[in-house]
Amino acid sequence: MNTATLAAAAAIALAAPLLYAALGELISETAGVINIQLEGMMLCGALAGVWCAASSGSVVVGFAGAAVAGTLLAALHGLLSFVFGANQVVSGVVLNILALGGTGFLFGSVQFERLSMPAPTMSAVEIPLLSDIPVVGPALFNHNLMVYVAYLLVPVIVVIRRRTTVGLALIAAGERPAAAAALGLSVRRVRWSALIVCGALAGIGGGQLVLAGLGLFTEHVTAGRGFIALAAVVFGRWRPVGTLGAVLLFAVTEAIQVRSQVLGIDLPYQLLIALPYIVTVLALAGFLRAMRPPAALGVDYQRT
Amino acid sequence: MITGALARVRVVPLLLPLVAVTLAIATSAILLRLAGANPGQALGDMWSAALGSGYAASTSVVKALPRLLAGLAVAFALRAGLWNIGAEGQIYVGAVCAAGVALFGPALGGMSPLLILLMSALGGALWAALPAFLRAYRGISEVITTLMLVYVAIQLASYLITGPWGIAGASFPATEPVPETARLPLLGTGTVLNAGVLIGLAVAVVVWLLLDRTTLGVRLRAIGGNASASSALGLNVPRVVVVALCLSGALAGLAGGLEVLGSRGRLVEGFSPGYGFEGIAVALLGRLRVGGIVAAALLFGALDAGGAGLQASGSGMSSTLVQVTAGLAVIYLLAALGLREIHARRSKARAALDAAEAHPEPTTSEVSR
Repeated sequence: MNTATLAAAAAIALAAPLLYAALGELISETAGVINIQLEGMMLCGALAGVWCAASSGSVVVGFAGAAVAGTLLAALHGLLSFVFGANQVVSGVVLNILALGGTGFLFGSVQFERLSMPAPTMSAVEIPLLSDIPVVGPALFNHNLMVYVAYLLVPVIVVIRRRTTVGLALIAAGERPAAAAALGLSVRRVRWSALIVCGALAGIGGGQLVLAGLGLFTEHVTAGRGFIALAAVVFGRWRPVGTLGAVLLFAVTEAIQVRSQVLGIDLPYQLLIALPYIVTVLALAGFLRAMRPPAALGVDYQRT
Repeated sequence: MITGALARVRVVPLLLPLVAVTLAIATSAILLRLAGANPGQALGDMWSAALGSGYAASTSVVKALPRLLAGLAVAFALRAGLWNIGAEGQIYVGAVCAAGVALFGPALGGMSPLLILLMSALGGALWAALPAFLRAYRGISEVITTLMLVYVAIQLASYLITGPWGIAGASFPATEPVPETARLPLLGTGTVLNAGVLIGLAVAVVVWLLLDRTTLGVRLRAIGGNASASSALGLNVPRVVVVALCLSGALAGLAGGLEVLGSRGRLVEGFSPGYGFEGIAVALLGRLRVGGIVAAALLFGALDAGGAGLQASGSGMSSTLVQVTAGLAVIYLLAALGLREIHARRSKARAALDAAEAHPEPTTSEVSR
């Protein structure tokens, strides 16, 4: 395989954890719930993923644990912002602090020695025929199963948004919650469901990060990927395909950054790390009309 | 009777935060126990490292300083209903400006530390200016823009430290120490307190005056309460938004400058463990009042110093327990505020219902919500 194929394959694999988290956040933001704690949910997912996989010896159990951990943090967000009426931004920031400290504490504490052993990881599944296509084949069709699942989620979400009442309910809860409630929709229930799905997906994204790699947890292993996923939703203009494009773009910069020396690119690596954030802010500054977030994003909806 | 109880709570505005902090520390002790440590021993170690001696207490105060300014920064914007969740980035930019001016700027004479700090405040304000203008004139939420710029600022600092400003072959990534004339002097021997603490307190007083004793404070609260009504009353809302966010950024930038000229003496990569984000917790626990913010910052500073002592004592506990405690404290506070709100709503509804039953003439539909 040549360098370009290797880099493309790496980018496609690197995009998977981001894609899970970003698609979860997209679903949640569509329903009007913003999750600044996306990073925290990924981090909890990564820790639980490694712990469950190492304890059980099964990757499947690892991903289940990752999903549960992400969901728990999401449930806490729901409790604080829906039940106790706290601002979603406050709740998200605080949960990030808690997740960062909590995972670090668990990682450092003696009861969690399992975290220092490598968990079982996934091997690549070559798709017959397709992976034999020269150049493109090995880049696209030689990944672990959860990478394929991540990409398959994109068309699934597109269909749900465009063709089902579930999609309509999500959009209604995020755009006109009062009108949706007047038509008999339980905004509260839609938002809770979207939030829980987001937590599970972000947790799986965190699990993917560690279980597709070395199977090891390190302190703050997500290193800002949750915030990059948050940026991808904005840069992707709150659409599934746009989010996929943004995630791929950000993953390519990550792949280039990892390989910049091999590729002979003489750029400060910090510029490549900062690029997703820079382009997102510039996009927000430049293309206002095309970039409208859901109207009721982050706005509490209380039945009165 | 219930309103009486609520009124009493209002008399002691910091009562709920105090309860929340106590609960958070108790929870952390339970976590320590679950993790196999002796919580009494651990809390004792933390206590002696945070408050056990004059020196320990001065460490706590120095560690409280960046959290105080970050808390003031967040609260300043929040009084106007604006979310500066990017204080962390403005702190880094302030630190970069301070280090740049101190290391490469012209010799500025006797006033130089104060002038350099002014530059760091200016840098923080400029870093907040783009989100401020986007929010004020294009209606783009400041939440995402301030947050995204955090990571740009951290990478900018990292680039300067590992690149043009760095020391080749240094044991940890940092710039050269700033010149002695630019350093904030220590306030005596046997202490780590430096003049930055006095500056921090002076700034806190100025912020209190601005927020509670000037028309700017009134304007901030007006647009925080109801922007369209303020606009209708002739207030230039976009301009107040820009002023609020830029001054908030200036306060955060100052925190970075104080770290460089004060306790660290140089620009160190990753010097902030999240002061800017903790500032949000500080502002909330302090209930957006300057006195409360000072108290909350001191608490977090003491927790940080205590956590470092815990780690040094070799009990195998990491200092991340501080973040856990901080996070839990705010979560308990939010829950307490939420419960109070729910309780108030219920008792109001019940009172209305009772009134309706006593005088059954009006329809009950309007009170059944």
